[in-house]
Amino acid sequence: MKGHLTTKISMYAGKTTYKILQISGKKGTALPGKVSMKIKPNLLKEMGEKCDRTILVTGTNGKTTINNLLNHVLKGKYNNITSNLNGSNLINGVVTPFIINKQEHYDCGVFEVDEGTVPKVTQQITPNYIIITNFFRDQLDRYGEVENTIKMVHDAITDSKTILILNADNPSCLYFSDLPNPEIYYSHGKTENSKKQMDVFESVFCPICGNRLEYDFINYGSIGQYHCNNCGAKNPPSDYKLMSVTSHDGYYDFSIGYCNEQKSFRLNLMGIYNLYNCLAVIALSSELGLDYETIKNRIISFEYKLGRMEKINLKNKEVVLVLSKNPVGLSEVLAAFCINPNEKSLMFILNDYPADGEDISWIWDANFEKVLEIPNIKNFYCTGTRAEDVALRLKYAGFPTSKIRIYPSKDRFDIKPAMNNILSEDNKSYIIGTFTGMPEARKILYDKQKELMKK
Amino acid sequence: MKLNIINMYPDILNMYGDIGNTQCIIKRCEWRGIEVNHIVSTLGSDLSINEEDIDMVLIGGGSDNQQSIVSKNLIAKRSKFDNYIENDGVVLAICGSYQMLGNDYLDLNQNNIPCLELLDINTESKPERFIGNILIENNLNLSPKVVVRFENHGGRTYHNYEPFGTVKLGNGNNGSDKCEGLIYKNVIGSYLHGPLLPKNPHIADYLILQALKNKYNLDSLPSLDDNIEIKARNSIANKLAKIQKDKEISKYWKYKKRIKDLKEYQKQ
Repeated sequence: MKGHLTTKISMYAGKTTYKILQISGKKGTALPGKVSMKIKPNLLKEMGEKCDRTILVTGTNGKTTINNLLNHVLKGKYNNITSNLNGSNLINGVVTPFIINKQEHYDCGVFEVDEGTVPKVTQQITPNYIIITNFFRDQLDRYGEVENTIKMVHDAITDSKTILILNADNPSCLYFSDLPNPEIYYSHGKTENSKKQMDVFESVFCPICGNRLEYDFINYGSIGQYHCNNCGAKNPPSDYKLMSVTSHDGYYDFSIGYCNEQKSFRLNLMGIYNLYNCLAVIALSSELGLDYETIKNRIISFEYKLGRMEKINLKNKEVVLVLSKNPVGLSEVLAAFCINPNEKSLMFILNDYPADGEDISWIWDANFEKVLEIPNIKNFYCTGTRAEDVALRLKYAGFPTSKIRIYPSKDRFDIKPAMNNILSEDNKSYIIGTFTGMPEARKILYDKQKELMKK
Repeated sequence: MKLNIINMYPDILNMYGDIGNTQCIIKRCEWRGIEVNHIVSTLGSDLSINEEDIDMVLIGGGSDNQQSIVSKNLIAKRSKFDNYIENDGVVLAICGSYQMLGNDYLDLNQNNIPCLELLDINTESKPERFIGNILIENNLNLSPKVVVRFENHGGRTYHNYEPFGTVKLGNGNNGSDKCEGLIYKNVIGSYLHGPLLPKNPHIADYLILQALKNKYNLDSLPSLDDNIEIKARNSIANKLAKIQKDKEISKYWKYKKRIKDLKEYQKQ
């Protein structure tokens, strides 16, 4: 009885916090959870029990995209889903949606969870499924080496009934092969996207025996078809495999083999990594019993609104906005811009706030040289608190300095001069921003859109 | 003119942008019409070049795990590396590889990771990492004196050689003696990641010139337009100076407050 009361009080305190935040114009994606969990530390356990099924999404890249796409697709079958759609993925961000939208019962709880937070979440919730996307180097100062991050997630999978959805093309998936859990694998296979070699030469060592892995082909980063000459480890056989893909400017048509059939899909997002994200969503939705037609139609109608390859129209001009925060992500973003042959300008907002990573060396590990393959670049705008570092990286990538425009920012809000200039051009704009840079650009773009609508 | 540049284990020791040092050396040679023969040396690849033809060796840093993979492999090349260094060979060794030139490296679990024992350096790892921007003044008499970049290491390194620079902001070798890195003949060892050279082109040019001196007896290099490099360096140097000033100001106010508190206490 007493426990029930503290739950009520904690929920009430969280909700009040949320209302106050709303009044003061803040989003409140994590603080309500923090307040509630102060009062009732195991609140998530009770909340988790309200869900018929829970799904966690973790890994270095793709969490937010998968979470949003998965929510959109699952709405084809379930009415009542709770989720942290805005990317707030620490423990407070996971519990907050339960507080804001309080109900007695949910069909599904779908949560993206930061790799380091998975142990805290699985202490309280036993998920039915965990999607593990990939592991790359990302703001290394957070958890030390990438192997440590993988171990944290691995050791947090404590219930052997949890079904794991894994990316067969990422060698890191082999770290999970010793678990007794059922495993479902997805794979991209060899398509026109596949390359012989990595963009940036990097040795990957076998998770089983430590020998260097050999690759037959690479799809992006260190993701592809691999094998170990020493112990024989290789990509696990996949249950959902991409068979063919045609790339267009802004979308992909592709087919996937599963349940002994080949089925076609269209995804309105750029980037090979988004095909992988989509594969994970198809695998999970199909495992949950959604039929092909529903999945296909839901994926086609998905429009992304969170600054991850988001398309924003400004009357006669199109802008593509994308978040980028680690080397593999940035390399693939630049690769995706190569498809459009028309004149365009690019912008990179590089900030060095703690959320972005104070060490900006990752831009040197990214394959910036890809920028030389993007056709018809008129100008490249460098802005943010580390604008000059972008310019320097471009120079050493061999990009012509005459096309580099530098607009250093005093702080993260100071990006208007660069934004005004790129938007005054009448070609297409591609804007890349780090964690604190992208939302600021997005705000400016939506203000601009409103302003143009009034005219 | 042509330089043979060996890039060692770039596929393994590739922490925090060290790959940019190679790019920087290659570009700055190319822009001056110096041909570069860029040779990658890693596990399982035999050097197709005699050691006396090597003009520069670049080697980066890695995690403890990556470092122990490399050190086992590198020990086989120890005597060649020793000859190369003693014959004034040019070397830039960053972070993990700087540690590896020494006697020993005790990791966090007190495991001794085998080192090359080429130089009299000792390193011990501590759980508290030195992470942050760092500003030093170089001891190579190069102008400008200032060198900026980022450090991220758990190792505390001690030696009696001349340091690469004097720490003005940040931690350097061990956080206590204000020394950063090492200079021995034409070897530079340093903890500066980020990568070190592009933002500090005077250090890059120093390495290129030493290599050209050894091979062609040259004593100067044509200058380049380093406008962007200088802007990038100054931008972060100014930012660091401001942070330092803010710290001093806050120290001053804390000091003032303490005096005030003391006076009030005395009054009582």
